[in-house]
Formats: sequence, C-alpha cells, structure tokens
Amino acid sequence: MMKRGTRYGSMMVLLALFVCLWVVTASADVHVQCPGDTNGDGISEDPNIVCRHITGGDGYTKMADGLDLYIFSFGDADGVPVERVIADRTLKAQMPAPTIVVKQGQELYLTMTNVGMVVRPDLFDPHTVHWHGFPNAAPIFDGLPEPSPSANMGNSFTYYYNAVVPGTYFYHCHVEAAEHMQMGMVGNLWVTPAQDGQSIGGFTKFAYNDGDGSTGYDVAYPLLLTGFDSFFHIASDTVQALPFAAMFDEYPMINGRGYPDTINPNNILNQEGFAAQITPTIITASTGQRILLRVCNISTTHQYSFATTLGVPMKVVARGAALLRGPDGKDTSMEVNVLNVGGGQDYDVILDTSGVAPGTYFLYTTDLANLSNGKQERGGIMTEIVINPL
Amino acid sequence: MDRIGKEINMWVVVLMGAVPLFFGTSAQGAIVGETGSTFHLMAKRDVIVTSDGDSFIMWGYAIRDAVTGKTGRAQYPGPTLIVTEDVPVTITLRNDLAPESGYVSIVFPGQEVTATGGLPGLLTREVQSAEILPGQGYEQVAYTFTPREPGTYIYRSGTRADLQVEMGLFGALIVRPAATPPGGDPAKKYAYNHVDSQYDQEYLYMMSEMDPRIHRQVEEKRWGSIDFTTYFPTNWFINGRNYPDLLAENNVPWLPTQPYNCQPRMHPGEKVLIRFIGAGRDIHPMHFHGNDFETIAVDGRLLSSGPGAGPDLAWRATTIKSMPGQTADLIWGWTGKELGWDIYGHSPDDPLEPYEYAPNHGKPFPVVLPPRDAVTYGAFYSGSPFLGGEGELPPGHGGLNANGGYFYMWHSHTEKELTSNDIWPGGLISFMIVEHPDVPID
Repeated sequence: MMKRGTRYGSMMVLLALFVCLWVVTASADVHVQCPGDTNGDGISEDPNIVCRHITGGDGYTKMADGLDLYIFSFGDADGVPVERVIADRTLKAQMPAPTIVVKQGQELYLTMTNVGMVVRPDLFDPHTVHWHGFPNAAPIFDGLPEPSPSANMGNSFTYYYNAVVPGTYFYHCHVEAAEHMQMGMVGNLWVTPAQDGQSIGGFTKFAYNDGDGSTGYDVAYPLLLTGFDSFFHIASDTVQALPFAAMFDEYPMINGRGYPDTINPNNILNQEGFAAQITPTIITASTGQRILLRVCNISTTHQYSFATTLGVPMKVVARGAALLRGPDGKDTSMEVNVLNVGGGQDYDVILDTSGVAPGTYFLYTTDLANLSNGKQERGGIMTEIVINPL
Repeated sequence: MDRIGKEINMWVVVLMGAVPLFFGTSAQGAIVGETGSTFHLMAKRDVIVTSDGDSFIMWGYAIRDAVTGKTGRAQYPGPTLIVTEDVPVTITLRNDLAPESGYVSIVFPGQEVTATGGLPGLLTREVQSAEILPGQGYEQVAYTFTPREPGTYIYRSGTRADLQVEMGLFGALIVRPAATPPGGDPAKKYAYNHVDSQYDQEYLYMMSEMDPRIHRQVEEKRWGSIDFTTYFPTNWFINGRNYPDLLAENNVPWLPTQPYNCQPRMHPGEKVLIRFIGAGRDIHPMHFHGNDFETIAVDGRLLSSGPGAGPDLAWRATTIKSMPGQTADLIWGWTGKELGWDIYGHSPDDPLEPYEYAPNHGKPFPVVLPPRDAVTYGAFYSGSPFLGGEGELPPGHGGLNANGGYFYMWHSHTEKELTSNDIWPGGLISFMIVEHPDVPID
C-alpha cells in the first residue's frame, strides 16, 4: 500500500485534472444566492434574511483513541469568495457539520457547494442538505435526491427555508443516505423561538414558545449522538467495497467526539493539521441554572440511551421539534432518569441544577457497550457536567 | 435498427414501467385484505424474493377455501384480516408444513381468545402437520374471539415464535368501529370511536426483518445450526416487500407470495391514517419526510386521558420507534403552508387550490435553480419545483413522476436498514406521494 502522503499527492493531481475537465465540460459554478447582500460578503443587509454557505466534501476526523477516520461531511464556507471555495475548502469537512441557528420568522438561504471528495476522485456523488423535521416541506428544498435536483461536484445549490416553527432539528446529506450519513454528513440546526428576549418565569431564553417559561434555560448545549463504524470508513478511504450489511458503529460519539475528547475544551486537529472537530462538549453551568440539552441521534445503526449523575431528573419538554403538549394544550412533558433516542429522533431536555452542589458530574450512555472508542474502554458517549459555584 | 427506433423502444419501456407504477396503484387509499368474520388459514411453505435479487424459503399463512379445501399461496405477511368491533370472529388454522417444521398456532395479542381443536400447546392450542395422523380430528385448530375495541392489532405464531415469526407466520388484524362515532359524519371514515380519529386515506406499515442464514438453515434442514443468539438481520420489509418492490401494485403476479404493497398517496389537506405494526424483533425508528404526524393510538387504544376525551394525549413528531409486537396509529397531513412561496407557481390572479395557504398565493419561487448540467435529477423529480408541475428532463431520465407529485421518503432512520443484504437502495424505504388536487387517487 502506498504511504498516505504519496497517495494524497497522486489523488490531488487526479482531482486537479478532474476539476479542470469538469470546468470545461460541465461549467462548474460556485454560486451563492443571498438576497439583500449588497457588498458581496455573504451576509444579507436584511436582518430577516440569514445566508449561510457550506461545502459538501471529505476530510478526516480524529477518534478519541487517536485513529484518524476518513469522513464525508459539510464544511464552512461562509464569506469565502466564490472563486476560492474549491481551491481553499476541499478536504475541510467538519464533524459535526457547521451548526446552523436561525430565529423564528427568519428566512434562511443555505447554499451548499459540492467541493468533491479529494481522497475518492473515483466518486461522482452529488450532495444535498436535508433539514430533518422541517414542517410542510417541499421536495425541492427537502434534500432528498430522488424527487429533486442535487448539486454535482463543483456546483452549488441554494436551499430556501421560511423558518416559522421553532425547535431542535438537525441536518444531513440524503444522497445514498446509509453511506453518506455513516460517513459523517450530519450537523445541528436550531430555530430559536419568537418568545426569546421576553422575561417569562425568570428566563429570557427559551427552547419553544411555551407561554409559561417551562422551556426557559440559562445555558444550552448540543448533544448530537452518532457513531462511526471504523471498518466502513477505512473501506471507503481505501477504495474497497462498502460493508453495508455488516455496518455496526463501534465509535459512539457526542458532537463527533468520544470521551475523553468530549471534555477537551479545544478544537481537535486531524492528521492534516486541520481542525475538523470544533464542538467542545463539556457541559458547564452555575449551580441553580437551567441547562437545555438539544439532543438528537443520527447513528445509522444504533439507538442510544443516556443518563446523568446530577441526581436530578431530566425533564423532557419536546420531542421532534414539538413541545410536549397534547392537542388541547395538556402538559405531556415527562421527567426521566434515562432517555432513549432512536435514530432520527430529537428531544429537548431541561436539567434544573437547583440544589445540585458544585462539582463535576457525568452524562453517559446507559447502553454501556457504547462507553468505548473502538476497543478502548472508558470512552464513547460520556462527558462531564461541571457545576460551578454561583 | 436505426437510432430513432431504439429511442422509441426505450420510451415504450419507460412508459410501461411508469404506467403501472403510478396509475396501476390507484386502487389505494384503503388497506387491502380479507374482510369478514370467519377466516380459514393454512400454514404453508413457499418462497419470497428480496430486492437484492435473492429468494428465501419462508412459512406463511395462506387462505384456505373451507368448501373446496383448496389453498392459495402462502403469504408474507399473512392475510390482513379486517373485522368489525363486537362481531364474533372465528379463525381456523391447518398445517401443511413438513412434520419436522413442528406445530403451528396463532396468538392474537389484545384479544380474549378461545381455542378449540388441535392439541394443547404452551401459549395456545396448536396444530400438527397434516401428514401426521391424518383424519383423526387433530388437523385443525379454531380460535374465536369478539373484538371489543377498534384499532390496529397483530396476529402471529404462538409456537416457537422466534423461528416461526422469522419464517413469516404473522399478519395484521384491523378492527373497524361498529358505528360512526358520536358527532361523526357517516360519510367519513374513523379509526376509533371518536371524531378525532377521522381519516381520508389509510395505509399499513407492517415492519419485519430477516437474517438470511436462518432461512438457509431451514431450507437445508440444518435444524441444529439455528442460533438466534447471533441473530443479525440484513433484509428489512414493509408489508413483506423491500424497496423498490413495495412501490409495485398489490397482487402483482411476479410477487405471488408478497401480495401487499406500500405506496401511500394523498391530496393536500387530507388526513392519512398510518397503521404501524412492529412484526419483527427489532426497533425501527421510522422517519416521515414532509411534515409531522400525530400519534393518536398505541396497541389499539386511543392516547386518551379518559373516556370520551379522544386522543388528547396524542404527540407530534417526525420519527416514531416502531416497537416489536407493538402497534401505533398515526394521522399525517400536509398542505405546504407557510413555505414562503406558492407551491403551485400561481400568478396572483389565479384561483386558490383546495387547502392552499392563501398568504403565499402568487409569491414567487425564492431561488434560481442551478442549470441542468450542474445537478443530478432524481428519478422522481418532475423537472419542476411546483406541485403538479412538469419540466424538461434530461435524456435517460425515467420520467417516473408524470403527475408532478411531491414525493416524501418515509423510511427507517437506522439508515443501514435502507439496504437489502449489502445492496443500496432497498429495505425500509417508502414514498408518500402528495398529488396535485386534480390528480385522481381513487
């Protein structure tokens, strides 16, 4: 087998050739649509319009046991001049993908540019963005490749969303979903409620328009649960047949990190020296504060259950970006010590730390086999909850 | 042959494919099955095919004609039995399997069953192979019960169920309300005895999975090798078919033992009832593109805080875990409201479509779509972003969405299950099609 460096070299040459040919034959076109952007910085001057630019491509991400795994994911291209996106933003996929946050009522113009897979120039895969859970979606912006167009390599597609329903969502690529999602094309996406900024029940930040402050919080953290099957990623990296039937995640992660990387406050650099993992996952609050956990599971093989050692229950206030209220408004929220999250599910959980003594606590998966980074024990889905004195 | 002739031939093939797919399935909006109060079943051995091109030995319940004694093909899943609340039901079962396959039986979770005939078994009375002691009165077992609550139920083997359910001995039982609920409209359909269970279209999602090794072991009579402690499924089914086979019509001749499809369709504003049944052993987190559903009932009971309250504890989401042995009833709807643009591509003076969100009427499409060579068109893209729209499609595109319907994938979010034994796509993929109001569904 060639050394990695050599292989990259040859693949970069191939990619360069490919991109050149592509430009000639298929008029590659990186193109950002951002109404109200008068100076070309990718930011709309209209405060109701949010413009984001992400890439779809490949890269590497470091597991907590030191193993670098090949991934497909989205990368950050906000404000990058369009002529520099392909040149500067290939092989810079992030895990998880860049977080997208909009306010209720805002319009999101999300441009995804497919920068191609440098390590796999043999692949011609388009990419898409699927806003998971978007209500009353239309196929053209649903990111499902079967009933819509999806961006080829070297091209951009701008998705439009009128964000009217607040909540905890996530997004992912839906092209050959079992492959592209296993490979890592997943990210957090939230719509903050119109109620934010009002003072209700002692809070000014809320997960939903609850009317009574029941979803109010002081600090919020994402808990994007997923896992990698290293055999699948290595097969992809080394251009082997992909083991779909045998797929089984053995690197469970929170926000793209296994413990103890979850408590590393810094960005994590991959083997290329690129910071692909920029979502620290240590949960910090002052005693008495309310913590909002925005939970989702995007594993392609596993469900995950988790608990905390805080000694207080987890109050589940929403499921699937819907406040836990019956059709007539009846409160159906629930207090649990363990929450099971199936693939594709999302929950909003409030941890009320009133009466919790300052100290270091843990959030961990109660499916104990998932406390591992591959064969390394004491890893996986676990992080610290640090409660500071007031 | 010249080139034009070839192209015409290709179009004929495409049309032949598209016509049954999107017009042949039009007898939809209802769940097909066996309606009545007396059913005669026979457990038989047969073969199913999977979307990866494989075929497997299975055991299924077949319909038996009690007068002629003739039986149909075994079915995967068994016949969907559609009965009425408070009307007594009798189901007889005979066993056409080879003696080494063992006894068979049926249990009906949620029903108070009286079993007669056959032989006593662990969970219920069972029936041995017809080849053993024929003509001595052991060849039939009968189960009788009176369904007291409408709803969605499962029936399945009560004998060596780990193997027999894997082999296909399960089916759906649907209990329809005896009467229109108080305050209801007799012209409309209701799942339960409450007006909030009203629906316009109804579809079954019966989930199951398969570990091919088990079926090979049964086929080769390697009974001692069967080991469920290492169970590892690689094929997944909705109503007994994988994607894309589940798109085809009900009762197509090339799937003689897999009669049921899964092709939900609706018009904007309609209420769709989805009857989920977890018939296998695994949990499948089923995700609905397009909009939220509301879970109104679990295991044949409305999620209700008390008598007459209706489904006031219903919950909304876009993903539900289909649990082994459990049933759930969901109501789903879609209107395309608040998208910020007109989904029909109207100009402001056009008339409104039914259930169209009026504030968006005539609002322009918000972005410029990339040129055709910058994108890949999916097989179900009509060429237009608008509902009922059409557009130019590239050469070689199948044109499978001639009505310009909106396709939404309803699928397992354990995405591995969207394959059939290593082949993508397959398994637990289905598509809801929201059709333009002018497109007939029934």
